Amino acid sequence: MRNFTRRATGRTWGWAAVAVMAIALSPSRPRIQAQSPAQTPPAGAARPNAIPDLAGIWDGTTRARPVNSERIPWGKDNFPELNERALAYQKVFDEALSPKYDCQPASSPAIQYDPYSMEVTQWPDRVLLRYEKDDQLRTVWLDGRKPTIYDWSIQGFSVGKYENGALLVDTDHFVFDITGFDDYNGIPSSQLKKVHERYWREGTELKVTVTVEDEMFLKKPASYTARWLPQRPGYKLDAWDCDPEAARAAVKMMPPKYKE
Amino acid sequence: MNRRRWTALGVLAVATAALLMVAPVIAHHSSAPFYDSTKTVEAQGTVTRFLFKNPHSFLYFDADENGKKVEWQIELGAAGGLTRTGWTPDTLKPGTPIKASGRPSRAEGSHGMCCAKITRPDGTPIVSGGRVTDEQQPPR
Repeated sequence: MRNFTRRATGRTWGWAAVAVMAIALSPSRPRIQAQSPAQTPPAGAARPNAIPDLAGIWDGTTRARPVNSERIPWGKDNFPELNERALAYQKVFDEALSPKYDCQPASSPAIQYDPYSMEVTQWPDRVLLRYEKDDQLRTVWLDGRKPTIYDWSIQGFSVGKYENGALLVDTDHFVFDITGFDDYNGIPSSQLKKVHERYWREGTELKVTVTVEDEMFLKKPASYTARWLPQRPGYKLDAWDCDPEAARAAVKMMPPKYKE
Repeated sequence: MNRRRWTALGVLAVATAALLMVAPVIAHHSSAPFYDSTKTVEAQGTVTRFLFKNPHSFLYFDADENGKKVEWQIELGAAGGLTRTGWTPDTLKPGTPIKASGRPSRAEGSHGMCCAKITRPDGTPIVSGGRVTDEQQPPR
């Protein structure tokens, strides 16, 4: 009996060791892109602390929300309070100088609201946000890494974490952008710009609240909330391939702000 | 096929033609500084070039204005969006006669328009068929 017990205990420990090793060695595979968001379970079915399923291609066109303009998504209720520097800048700003007419991509907080599609890929150590507009790819690092001196860019350096069923993203290390606030209001953004994003699912929708702060130009942070709808099955993001001639062709149709 | 189905098909065909006649408005930049939404301009001529590109496509055509040749520039949507509504770079080949009406450009002496309706000179749609996806693509 004692021998049996010892053998049984030994077998139990043996199986336990195998199980522990199996768990320890098994790679934690991310769920990647295999399914479209429309096929995923609604957010309500997720556990509160579970990683939300944000993966898929999302439609940010007019099917999902009004197209961007001078007053969308920054309207009278959420338009940022500009400081004197920003107001002075806005007054002298010449639209013809905008780098978008030379194919410079939009950056945060504008690119999230551009009326195009976006693809989200969730990996264990990062989330990839690929924008159809301007062929832009943002990487949101989840592994706790810090930016280096080489990480200053138009799109900045993004870190993130999952919390309460949402993806929280903090981005800084932006370079100065003469129209870095949006495409319409002649408001720049500085190296002090910080953008905070919260992504979550509501049913089949993907929602985001984007908050921007920039002490150089804004008196206080400003926010908007937007949504995407699932793109139709089989949709693939197009290459943008911005053409400089097509980007600038409209400028000659606008009365020049400065004569010489 | 019963009458109801024929009616539905007719409505669909008209809607399709309308989609292909009316070019999308723009979203890469505001149209207000460039084009006057309170006015409409109309011109007729022959296509010289179709710049089927992103961020916006442009159609160029020559028109006669009091015996003088004038080049018009029509701003259209992004190539990607136009493609999804059935347009191709060959939809409007050089030499194609067209009539266009839209918002005129603001710059003095310029001949541009946006948000244009483009048809054949007799008002019929240029593209009577073509691939139209299940949903209308947005303005770009």
